[in-house]
Amino acid sequence: MTETHTTRAVFVRPGEGGWGKGLLLRADGKRDKVLSVTGGGIHPVAARIAELTGAEAVDGFHTSVPDDEVVAAVINCGGTARIGVYPRKGLPTVDVYPGAPGGPLAKFITEELFVSAVGVKEVTEADSETGTVPPKVPPRAERPSARDVAATVTGGQSTGFGRAFDSVSGVFVKFGSGVGSFVNTMLASGRQTVELTLTTILPFMAYVSLLLGIVNYTGIARGIANVLSPIASNPLGLVVISLVVSLPFLSPILGPGAAIAQVVGTLMGSQIAIGALPVQYALPTLFAINGQVGCDFIPVGLALGEAKPETVAVGTPAVLISRLITAPLAVIIAWGASFGL
Amino acid sequence: MEELAVMAQQADTGSSSGPLGVLEWLGSHFIGLFNASGEQFVSLVTGILPTLIVLLTAMYAITTFIGEQRVTRAVRWSARWWITRYTIMPVLAVLMLTNPMAYSFGRFLPERHKPAFYDSAVSFVHPVTTFFPYANAGELFVWLGVANGVAQLGQSTVPLALRYFLVGIVVIFIRGVVTERITAFMIKRTGRTEVFADFDRQFEAAKAGAK
Repeated sequence: MTETHTTRAVFVRPGEGGWGKGLLLRADGKRDKVLSVTGGGIHPVAARIAELTGAEAVDGFHTSVPDDEVVAAVINCGGTARIGVYPRKGLPTVDVYPGAPGGPLAKFITEELFVSAVGVKEVTEADSETGTVPPKVPPRAERPSARDVAATVTGGQSTGFGRAFDSVSGVFVKFGSGVGSFVNTMLASGRQTVELTLTTILPFMAYVSLLLGIVNYTGIARGIANVLSPIASNPLGLVVISLVVSLPFLSPILGPGAAIAQVVGTLMGSQIAIGALPVQYALPTLFAINGQVGCDFIPVGLALGEAKPETVAVGTPAVLISRLITAPLAVIIAWGASFGL
Repeated sequence: MEELAVMAQQADTGSSSGPLGVLEWLGSHFIGLFNASGEQFVSLVTGILPTLIVLLTAMYAITTFIGEQRVTRAVRWSARWWITRYTIMPVLAVLMLTNPMAYSFGRFLPERHKPAFYDSAVSFVHPVTTFFPYANAGELFVWLGVANGVAQLGQSTVPLALRYFLVGIVVIFIRGVVTERITAFMIKRTGRTEVFADFDRQFEAAKAGAK
């Protein structure tokens, strides 16, 4: 990249409680679109970045843009999925929520690619003299995935003491590298697991524990039980819950990280534990609280399947509308299947 | 106010009265709140985490051993028929590639089937956590929260898990079929019939080219 082009560079620094060192962004030739994947139109942060860089802001919920035309992706994700998808593609990612590396794609979320808790005031024009080095990103092919690492076989070649020896040692080498590969795979899996536990599962456990502690200790639990029990303790109430969470204007908001479903699930569980809700309703409850699953993620999920912009345009409303039919239906099926539990 | 009354009932009866008593009351309840939360945390960590960690390790290892290529072949095979497209295909995709990379298998489908496949696959990421939590460990509590309640009653969670998993497959199948229909309707309504017919031709051509 030369210094001859005239588009302005923009520096995006992390906001309060945010993660990352900040990103230097600039539009450059074909790379001239700021992708806003936040739902509800173009996010002000995306608009600001577009305005300052001279790029065009694009709503990722309505159109999909080829990766090599994207200056940066603006997301609102505190969860586990969207936060990693764009860094994995090597695209600079600006999170308007205070997200930090987590989830299965955490290893791709690096300081060179990701910044979070960004508000409009965190987007500033970069000084043309300083900090003009654009973020360096190795191409995706050069970034090893965990599977590649796991599949790496240790164990060497035969050392060349003659052919007879080679043929004998070949067996040992093969055996040795087989064992090495096995052990390495197991180790890599363990490492992946512990990483996931530390970055995703334990933090969520801590958060749920605090929430449950407060709810139980203060007696709010009883209040919630009084409200929820009549709704959730008959199939019709559960159908209503599933309808509400799958309303097309609510479902994309309730989706991120399945946070709402997880919290409601935990609360319902505690109600089942104290006997306020019958065990039989556990199954329809599980389906009632996940009618919104993935509704925040439709354009990204479709983009992962290499869908064309037209498919995103018809597919997003199709999925949202479909949920209004299938979410209550799922509860009814689950209710029917729950007899005898 | 009701909460405060409950808290007052729980307070020690032996505390002194007056302003000091109020402070004492505040002090004991402040720390009591976090003690209660801490107990929750310990029970979650000791109850769930040990099994989960070894299970996750085993499942990650198995998926690595099986390898992406073999799965890709199975998925392409299941993409052909509408019955398998919204049952076997999403289940395999979620089990092998996990959330969120599972949706990348949409690339084996013609454009008009991609939204339905996404809907089907994404709806499986919660039922899958019952027996295969590694596939979506970030959202475990949708299942664990409810299951924990059942476990605290002293009942086995296995029958519930099995039904959640099986009903999940039925639901993703229905969801796939319904979304496929609605997508077709949306294509017609928005006047994109020609565009998608074109996509179909491209898809067929690409498939023929690959052979």
